[in-house]
Amino acid sequence: MDETQAVRGDIVENRAVAPGHFQMSIRLPGSFPTPVPGQFVMVRSADHEEPLLARPFSVYGFQRRRGETAVDLLYRTAGRGTALLSRLEPGARLVVLGPLGRGFAPPEGMKKVILLAGGVGVAPLVFLLRSGRLAGTNACTCYVGARTGEQLTGLELLRGADLHVCTDDGSRAFCGQVTDLLRRDIGGYDPPETMIYACGPSPMIRTLGRLLGDRPIRCQVSLEERMACGLGACLGCAVAVRGESGRKEYRRVCKDGPVFDLREILFASPGGAEEGQQNG
Amino acid sequence: MDELPNQDGGYHPVLAVEIGRLRLQNPVMTASGTFGYGQEYTPFVDLGRLGAVVVKGLSLERRDGNPPPRIVETPAGMLNAVGLQNIGVRAFIAEKMPQLRPYNVPVIANIFGETVEEYRRVAEILADCPGIGGIEINVSCPNVKQGGITFGACPDTVQEVTGEVRKATCLPVIVKLTPNVTDVRDVARAAEAGGADAVSLINTLTGMSVDIERRRPRLANVTGGLSGPAIRPIALRMVWQVVQAVRIPVVGVGGIMTAADALEFLIAGATAVEVGTANFVRPAATMEIIAGIEAYLVRHRIGDIAELIGTLKVDAETDAGQAEGC
Repeated sequence: MDETQAVRGDIVENRAVAPGHFQMSIRLPGSFPTPVPGQFVMVRSADHEEPLLARPFSVYGFQRRRGETAVDLLYRTAGRGTALLSRLEPGARLVVLGPLGRGFAPPEGMKKVILLAGGVGVAPLVFLLRSGRLAGTNACTCYVGARTGEQLTGLELLRGADLHVCTDDGSRAFCGQVTDLLRRDIGGYDPPETMIYACGPSPMIRTLGRLLGDRPIRCQVSLEERMACGLGACLGCAVAVRGESGRKEYRRVCKDGPVFDLREILFASPGGAEEGQQNG
Repeated sequence: MDELPNQDGGYHPVLAVEIGRLRLQNPVMTASGTFGYGQEYTPFVDLGRLGAVVVKGLSLERRDGNPPPRIVETPAGMLNAVGLQNIGVRAFIAEKMPQLRPYNVPVIANIFGETVEEYRRVAEILADCPGIGGIEINVSCPNVKQGGITFGACPDTVQEVTGEVRKATCLPVIVKLTPNVTDVRDVARAAEAGGADAVSLINTLTGMSVDIERRRPRLANVTGGLSGPAIRPIALRMVWQVVQAVRIPVVGVGGIMTAADALEFLIAGATAVEVGTANFVRPAATMEIIAGIEAYLVRHRIGDIAELIGTLKVDAETDAGQAEGC
């Protein structure tokens, strides 16, 4: 695999796509390695000393066209870091570190692929779908949810897929969560032939874990956690997993993930310290 | 010392320093816990160009560390409560040292324990490991309830731990001091009395942050260690005080982001520095700092860094320990 790089990037576009939601396109040097879907980049402004740390974002899109290389991000303002990024104009200079982490594994002959996205968790799944890495599977069904109808983002990039949409407030389509939609349909999927790819907030991932229970459906989830370095050194982005001997171990979201097998993950109790995760 | 002209008409100042019997090719080391076991940074850093690599703190047995969230960014810094997660000293020697040896850079093993006996045993296990250049004793990590703070805050205990590690190894011993004490000089003198070859300071300052919407601590551990530029003035003041309180070399640590920051510590009397949180912000920070120190020496026509260390010009009537604005 190509090595991680720290490069200068320029903002080409940074626009609001929904209240508090932004899409940013960053021009990168041509030497920047092509990310695998599920991998992420760490981004900070090159011209601001504060906030100190770069913020992690899943890759939403990546292009090499006419000698130009660009990465697209979809993000929600969640704190000081993302608020600053959302105010930057085209031309602003960034530092981009990446590609980082372990991306999604291909579906390996599975006949059915399910994409399950909550909020901006749609970003790495859009990149996965559009990367062509799902080619060969017969059918792809997407379940996409957001808090409100206007916060549904990225749907236009999922055109052509079998798309099921929901909102927490019922302002658009089904009123409920993506896990409710999946629960409705789950009996229709043949476990050994199905691969689920999921990304969204912690409560969604936890509910998904309970929903799948003992069903032998493979599920890869992309996790989010605060991190400082993105390189596996700071040990800040710990996630509890069931280790080889069955005992609890911590893995690094940045290096061992961000994509994990759902079955490995040990969930904190609801309302526990694990909630409220945000990278901005 | 005479300037040293080279072929391009520039100068190659001497950057090498000594910490006890440990010779460093330059005064820039990595701070424990910010550089993993070194390999994590090889895409950005030529490990062989560092003064030394100080690795993540090692204990007798592996430790899982604290539950997440473990870090949170704060103004000009960050809090961490990783909880001394590490693979254990034997796994470090078996799995990590073979990857570090080819770089031919001194590896300083940061060690800790929950008892004096554990410190001694970790030091014994490391004593015969090829490639280890020195031991840094962590008496100051504030995250683990039974260890850390109790050792580092008590001069007698620091002297005892230092003495036991000293007996267990011939390697240079550095004691890393906690700033969470009333007078860091008392603890520094205790480390010196215990046989330390050097002291490094400061470790993180204990801090806390609250999410007011959820009325929850932002760290699962509630409190954590503050690092980054926010603590640099405190670190610099403590280094300056300790330099005048002990005869052994002092290693400056705390919020060093740039060569200019490192030079402040060197001028104040630090023989070397450790770079920590900066590695998270700019993975190649150590390389930039080494180059920046060299450029400073050239610009000031200083042939040997020894001519710079401890040359702070202070008006005669000002003593260390005074000057708190009163």
